[in-house]
Amino acid sequence: MQVSLNWLSTHLDLSSFSTPQLSDLLTFAGIEVEGIEEKGVSSDKVIVAQIQSFEPLPNSDKLSICQVDDGSGSLRQIVCGAKNFKAGDKVPLALPGAVLPGGFQISEGKLRGVVSNGMMCSAKELGIGEDTGGLWILDGGLPVGKPLNQIVESDTLFDLEITPNRSDLLSHLGLARELAALTGLSLKSERDHRKTTSTARAAKADEVALEDTEGCPYYTARVIKGVKVGPSPEWLKTRLESIGLRPINNIVDITNYVMMEMGQSLHCFDLDKLQGGIAVRRAKEGEKILALDGQEYSLLVEDLVITDGQRPVAIAGVMGGEETGVVEGSTNILLEAAYFAPSTVRRTARRLNLHSDSSYRFERGIDPQQVHGGSDLATKLILEIAGGTAEAEIRVAGEAPTLVNDVVLDEVRAHKLLGISELKTEEAHDILSKLGLIKKSGDAAASTWSIPSYRLDLLRSVDLVEEIARVIGLDRVPAKFTAAFAQGDGTDKIYDHAMQLRQALANRGFNEAQTLRLIATGQTNDALGNPTGGLAALKNPLSEDHTTLRPSIVPGLLASAALNVRQGADRLRLFEIGRVFLKMPNGMVREEERLAILLSGPVAPSTWHAREPKAADIFDLRGLVESLPGVSSVEIKPLKDNGTFLLHSELKAGNRVLGWIAQVHPARARALDARTPVYVVELLLSALRQGSAGPAKFTDLPRFPSITRDVAFELSTDVSNAKVTAFFGSVKEPLLISTALFDVFADPSGTKLPKDRKSLAWTLTYRASDKTLETAEVDAAHSRIVAALEKALPVVVRR
Amino acid sequence: MLTELDSLKTEALSALDTLTDEAALEAFRIDYLGKKGKLTGLSAGMRDVPVEQKKDVGAKLNEVRDAITNGLATRKEALQAAKDAEAVAGIDLTLPGRPGAGTGTLHPLTQIRDLAVRTLRRMGFTLADGPEVETEWHCFDALNTPADHPARNESDTFYMPDGKLLRTHTSSVQIRTLETVKALPVRIIAPGAAYRRDEIDATHLSVFNQIEALFVDKDVSLADLKGTLEFFFREVFGPGTAVRFRPHFFPFTEPSFEIDVKLEAKGKEARWIEIAGCGMVDPAVFAAVSKSRGDDLFHPDQVTGFAFGMGLDRLAMILHGISDIRHLIENDVRFLQQF
Repeated sequence: MQVSLNWLSTHLDLSSFSTPQLSDLLTFAGIEVEGIEEKGVSSDKVIVAQIQSFEPLPNSDKLSICQVDDGSGSLRQIVCGAKNFKAGDKVPLALPGAVLPGGFQISEGKLRGVVSNGMMCSAKELGIGEDTGGLWILDGGLPVGKPLNQIVESDTLFDLEITPNRSDLLSHLGLARELAALTGLSLKSERDHRKTTSTARAAKADEVALEDTEGCPYYTARVIKGVKVGPSPEWLKTRLESIGLRPINNIVDITNYVMMEMGQSLHCFDLDKLQGGIAVRRAKEGEKILALDGQEYSLLVEDLVITDGQRPVAIAGVMGGEETGVVEGSTNILLEAAYFAPSTVRRTARRLNLHSDSSYRFERGIDPQQVHGGSDLATKLILEIAGGTAEAEIRVAGEAPTLVNDVVLDEVRAHKLLGISELKTEEAHDILSKLGLIKKSGDAAASTWSIPSYRLDLLRSVDLVEEIARVIGLDRVPAKFTAAFAQGDGTDKIYDHAMQLRQALANRGFNEAQTLRLIATGQTNDALGNPTGGLAALKNPLSEDHTTLRPSIVPGLLASAALNVRQGADRLRLFEIGRVFLKMPNGMVREEERLAILLSGPVAPSTWHAREPKAADIFDLRGLVESLPGVSSVEIKPLKDNGTFLLHSELKAGNRVLGWIAQVHPARARALDARTPVYVVELLLSALRQGSAGPAKFTDLPRFPSITRDVAFELSTDVSNAKVTAFFGSVKEPLLISTALFDVFADPSGTKLPKDRKSLAWTLTYRASDKTLETAEVDAAHSRIVAALEKALPVVVRR
Repeated sequence: MLTELDSLKTEALSALDTLTDEAALEAFRIDYLGKKGKLTGLSAGMRDVPVEQKKDVGAKLNEVRDAITNGLATRKEALQAAKDAEAVAGIDLTLPGRPGAGTGTLHPLTQIRDLAVRTLRRMGFTLADGPEVETEWHCFDALNTPADHPARNESDTFYMPDGKLLRTHTSSVQIRTLETVKALPVRIIAPGAAYRRDEIDATHLSVFNQIEALFVDKDVSLADLKGTLEFFFREVFGPGTAVRFRPHFFPFTEPSFEIDVKLEAKGKEARWIEIAGCGMVDPAVFAAVSKSRGDDLFHPDQVTGFAFGMGLDRLAMILHGISDIRHLIENDVRFLQQF
C-alpha cells in the first residue's frame, strides 16, 4: 500500500522522525517497508524561471544555449538538451547548490566549453511525474523566481506490505493510530471517524431492501441532491495523486479519499439513473453487468450484487456499474456505505479476477463500526466541495456486526511464552492500552480487555501476547540455549544412507543433479522401472511441461543430459536422489525415494596420458552399482525392451528388487543428440538400505595358503553367464572357497571359434582352514567339479 | 701362495669393475667365492703350507676374501643405485596428473541442506518426513489457515484429481509429526520439497526446497526460539553474523517473525536479507492436532512450541551468488562442477 507522509502528518506530528527512523519503526512493528520514494524537491533552490531566448550550440545536434530569467534582474545562461520549449515558456530551474531527488547536486559548470549556471528540469528529474520527453513546462501565470516547493509540495511515499491480519492498517488513519501507539505521540483527536454526525433511520423497503444479510449485514444509503460534479480541488487531487490514484471527478475522488483516509470503501450512484430502490441480493445465474472498468462481467448465484430493483448496478464491494456511475452532469446522488462479508467479496473478486482497492479492503475485513462515520465524512466533503443538500437522516438496513469481544489475557502463560523475566505486568498493560485496548478488570492471573472495533485480529489471549512481543521487540528477549534428547525415527537413517550414497557417487566422479519433480506427459515414456500403477497427473497443471509428478527420475536426467550435450559436454556422469510418485490401483499416490544414475561418454576425462579413453559401456554402470554401499552383487532379470530402453533389466539381490538398468535406445539417444551410448539405472533406496543393515561381521583371516586351478570351456552363446555362475554357486565342495570368471572369448568372424560358440575361463580357488593343502587333494576336488560342470551344462571343457 | 693370493685379489677386483648386471655378479661370486671357486680352491692349499707360514697365509687369505666380498657388495649397491636412478630419470613432474574417474560434486542444494541438518542435529533435532501429495487438512486446516485463504486457491496451489494437493510448505510435516509422536519433547527438522503454482522464471520455481523445524515441550518460549535461531545462523554464516527478527504474520504461529541476516553478497555492501520465517506455534494448531489425536498430549493450555522454516534454494543463491534460480534445476555440468 502506498502511504504519503504528508497525509499521515495530518493525523500526527512526525516531524521529529527522519525517513530512516520511520522506516525502522514500521519495520519492527511488523509492517514491511518495500520501498521509499522522495517526491518533489524540498530545496528552495529550485525556482520558476522563464526562457527569454535560445540558440543552438555550435557543432551540436541536441544542445541549446538558453538565456533564462530567474527573477534576479539579470539573465542566466543555461545549456540545455531538451527540445520541447519555446521562448517565453516557464520551466523549473535548479540553481547551483540545489539537490535533486537521488542526491544529485547541481553546480556551475561548462558544457562543451560553454558556461552553464544551473539546470532546467523535467518533472521526472524533480521526482514529480513520469518522463514526458523534455522540460516540465509550467503554468504561464506562475511568478518568476518563486521556489517550486511553494507550488508543488514535496512528500515521502512509503510502499508498505500490510500483513493480512492487519486490515486496520489499510488507511492513513489506521497507520497513524499504530504510529501513535508505537511512539507515544498523540493523534489529532477530532479525526476519529467512528464518531457519527448524522442520525440514522431504518430504510423503507422500497429504499433499501437487504435480501442477503449474510453477504451484507449492514447497508447505508445517503441521498444528496443538487451536487455539481466537476474536477476536484488541488489539495484533493494532490492527495490522491501522491499515492498513485488518478483523479476522476470530485464525487468519485471523495469516495477514494475517504477509503484511503479511514479504510471505508464507498460507492456513489447517480440517483437519477437508478430505476428503483436499492436491493442487495445474490446475482441470478448469467446476469451481466458492465462495470466501471468498461468490462462486462457475467455473474453467478454466489456473487453478491447491488441492484436498483431491475438490474445489478454494482458488484458488491468490488466495483460499481458503468451505467449508474457519477459523471459530469450528475446532480443527485446516492452514497453507499456498507459492510460486506469478506469471504463473499473475496470469492467474487477472485473468480472475476477483478481486484480493486475496495475489494482488497472488504476481503481483509473493515471495521463495521465506522461505516456510518465514513458516510458522514464523505457527505461532509461532498457538501463542501460539490455543494448540494444531503438528506438529514441516513437510511440504514441491517445492523453493523460486532466482530470483536472482550479478551482475557492469561498473565501466567503470556509471561512464559514471552520468556522475558524482567518484563513487568504494568509495562505489558501499558503497551495494550497505547494500542487502544481498555482494561476492564484484572488480577495476577488474568486481565480482561475490551478490544477496539477495528482490531479484528485480537480474539484470543495469544493475540494480545503477540501485540506485546511485537511492540517490545525481540531485542529484549534473552537468547536461551535449550537442547533436549529427542528420539529419532527411521528418517535419520534414511537421510544418512542417502548422504552416504551421494558422497560415494561424487567420489566416483559423478555430478549430483536436481531435476523438477513435475514433468511433461510425454516425458513419462522415459520412465525407468515398471510402475505398478498409473501416473499421478495434476488436476490443474500450470503448463504442458509440468503436468505429472514424475514416476521415475530418469526422464529428468535424460532432459539434463540433452541440455549438456547441446552445451558441448561429451562425458556425462549424473545422478539424482529424490522422490518419485506412483499412482496405485486404489487411487492413492505412493511416494518412494530413488537413486538414478546416467552414464555416457568416455570412462575418464581426456588427458595427455590418454587422449581418447574408451567409451563407458553398460558394464561400467553395472560395476558402479555393485560398488555402492549396501550392494555386493546383483542378479539380472531381463525385461521387455521398449522404444526408450534396450537391455532393459531388473536388478535383484535374492528376491529383493533393487531397481532397473538399461541402455537408452539409440533412436531415443539420437533424439537427445547424444554422441555416445547412454546408460541409466534407477534404484530403490529402501532396497539398498536393507542390504546395508547392521554392522559387518568379522571373518577370521585364513592361516593357510590357497591353491588355484583354472578351467576353460566352450559353450553355446545362448547360454548366459548367469547359468554358469549358478552352477558354481551350487557346487558343494568344502575346499572350494571362491570362483571368478577371467576370460570371455568369442569370434564373430567364426575363424577361431564357430560364431555361435564362446569360450569362458574361470579360476577356482581352494583352501582348507586347518592345514596346507596337498596337490593331490586339490586335483581331486577340481576334477570332481569339472566333471559336474560337464554334466550340468552343455559345455566342452578344454583339457 | 701369498703371491698367488695377491694376484687373485687384483684379478678379482678389476674383473668386478667390468660387471654390469645381477647375473654377472652372481657368476663372479660363484667363480671366486663358490664351493668350487678360485679363492675356495686356494684356501684348500692351506693344509700344504708350512706351519711357520700358516699365520701369514691365513691372514692374507682372510684379507683377500674380505676384499672380494666387500668389492662385490659395493659393486652390487652401485649397480642397484644406478638402476634406481634410471627408473625415475626423465620424469617431468610438472606434467598434469591423471584425474582418475574425474571429480564429482554434490548439488549446492544438497550441500546447504546438509549444512543445516548437521548444525541442527548438533542442537538435538532429529529428522522427520511426510508426504508431498498431502491432504488439505494437513497443509492448511490444521495449520490454522482460513477456509477461504488465497493460498488454497487452484490458481496458487497444485491439486490432484482426488482433492489432495501438493504441499505448499514443509510445515505439513509439523502436523504429521505431532499426530504420531508418543511423548514430549518434539524436536524435529524436516527438509523437503514444496510446490507452488508459480511460472518458472529467474526467481521462481514451481518446485522448491525448504527446511522446517519444530520444538514442542511444556515451557518453550520466545527466548528458546531466539537462542536457537541466533545460534543456528551464526553456525551457518559465521560467528559474527547479525540476525534480526521482524514481527510478521503467519496463520500457524503467533507471535510470528521474519528473520533477516546481514550478509555480504559478492562484491556488495552487507545488507539485511530475509531468510526465514518463525514463530511460536499457534494454539489453534495444537487444538487441531489434539482433536485429531483424541488425547491431551498437545493440549493448547499445556504445551508451547516454536517453529521455523526457510527456503533452501534462496539460501543457496545468496551464499553462492547465483543470479538465476533456474541454474539449480537445469544441471548444466559447467554449473554443477563449480560447487
